[in-house]
Amino acid sequence: MFQIDVKSRKPIYEQIVDYFKELIISGAMKKDEKAPSVRELAKELTINPNTIQKAYRELENRGFFYSITGVGSFVSGLHEEEIRPSKLNEMRTAFMSALKELLYYGCPHDEIFSMLEDCGLKLTADQRKSDQRMSQNKGTEPQEGRGER
Amino acid sequence: MIEIKNVNKYFDGFKVLDNMNMKVEKGSIYGLVGVNGSGKTTLLKHLTGVFKPDSGEITIEGEPVFDNPKVKSEVAYIIDDLLCLGLRNLEEWGKYYSSIYPQWNGERFSELIKELGLNPKNNLSKFSKGMKKQAAFALAMSTCPKLLVLDEPLDGLDPLVRRKVTKHIVDDVAEREMTVVISSHNLREIESLCDTVGIISEGNMQIEKEMDELKSDVCKIQAVFKTEPDLSGLNVLVREKRGSVDLMIIRGDIEATEDYLRQFDPLVLDILPLSLEEVFIYEAGGENDEFSKLLF
Repeated sequence: MFQIDVKSRKPIYEQIVDYFKELIISGAMKKDEKAPSVRELAKELTINPNTIQKAYRELENRGFFYSITGVGSFVSGLHEEEIRPSKLNEMRTAFMSALKELLYYGCPHDEIFSMLEDCGLKLTADQRKSDQRMSQNKGTEPQEGRGER
Repeated sequence: MIEIKNVNKYFDGFKVLDNMNMKVEKGSIYGLVGVNGSGKTTLLKHLTGVFKPDSGEITIEGEPVFDNPKVKSEVAYIIDDLLCLGLRNLEEWGKYYSSIYPQWNGERFSELIKELGLNPKNNLSKFSKGMKKQAAFALAMSTCPKLLVLDEPLDGLDPLVRRKVTKHIVDDVAEREMTVVISSHNLREIESLCDTVGIISEGNMQIEKEMDELKSDVCKIQAVFKTEPDLSGLNVLVREKRGSVDLMIIRGDIEATEDYLRQFDPLVLDILPLSLEEVFIYEAGGENDEFSKLLF
C-alpha cells in the first residue's frame, strides 16, 4: 500500500486521487477491479474516512471510478480524463524545465529524441533532420519540444 | 450532529465565550484551534455539558446537553488529567465506568489496556503522565461513544502510542460513524487527521471550514518576472521582493491566480498552497509584519 505524505502541501485527498490515477494509467489496476472500501483504506492508512470518501468522489467525477451502491467502487477502465488547461500548463512547465536542465547539462539531442521515441512518440525524418541542424548551431532550444505540445 | 448557537459565557464578569457558534457534522473529525486563552477548553466543557452557558443553545443530535444523562452517556471527554475519584487502579475504573455507561465494552477495555501495555492492577499514582493519558483514552474508547471530545489529547504521547491511538480513533469513525472533536496546538496533526477546522479567537469562532477549502483559499507564490507585472487583478495580501524573486501571498482560487500570472510570462512561477500552520499564523496573528517574516 502507498504512503501518505502528511508533510506535503498537497491535500491528502489529492494524494489518494493521484495514487489511484497512477495505478490505473500504469495498468496495475484493471478495468472493473474493485477498489478497497473506504473503511479498509481508512484503517490501513490511518486516514480520516471522510477524506478517502472525498477522494473516491473525485475519482468518480473524473471518470476513473464508478460505484455501485452498497457494493463499492470499481475501476471504470482507461479513458481520457477531461484535462483542464491549467493542468496542461503545469505539465508543460514541468516538461520544459526538465528539458532546459537536460540541455544545460549538455545532454546530447539524439538522446532526448530517443527518449521521446521511447515514450511512444513517432518523429518524422524531417524532424530528425531539423534536430541535426539544431545540434550544429548549438545552444538554442530545440523546437521539437514545443512541437510536441 | 452538534450545534452551538450564540453561546455566551462569563466567568466573574470576564467574557470567555462571545457569541460562539459551531457546527459539527456526524462522522466528522473536527479540529479546534486557537491561541492559548482563546476559549477552547471552555467551549469543549460546554459541549460536553460540564458548564452551563449563560445564554445560547448547545445541542447534540437536536437534544440539549446540559443535565441530560441520555446524551452524556454517549459522549466521552478526555481532559488533561485523569480525575482522581478515590479509585486505585484501572480495574476499579473499569467497574465504575461499566456502571454508568450503558454501552460499556469490557472486552474492548481489556484489549486496549493490554495493547497499550498498562497493568490494570497497578496503582494509578505510579502511572506516568503519558500512561495516565493512555488510561483515559482506553476508558473513553471502551464506552463506545457517539461523540469523542479530546482536549489536547495527543500532546505528550510518544509517536508509537500516538499512532495506536489515532488508529483506534479512525477505526471507530470508519466503523460506527463516531464524531470526533479535537483541540490541539499540534497543527500538523490536526491537518493530517481532521476534515473540518474551527479557528477561535477571544471566545468567538473566526473561521469554520473544510480543511481543504481553508487551505486552497490562500496561496503562497514565488515568482521571477522579467518586467513588473500588473497585479491589480489579484488580491495580494503580502508582497516582498528578495533580489529578483517575488514572494507573495494571494487570496483567491489557485488555478485562476496561476492563469493570471502566466500571462506575464514569468521565468519562474511556483505556487504553493498554505499549510494550516501558515493559515493559522495569518488568521490568528492578524495582518502584520510578523506574518511575512514567519512565513518565509
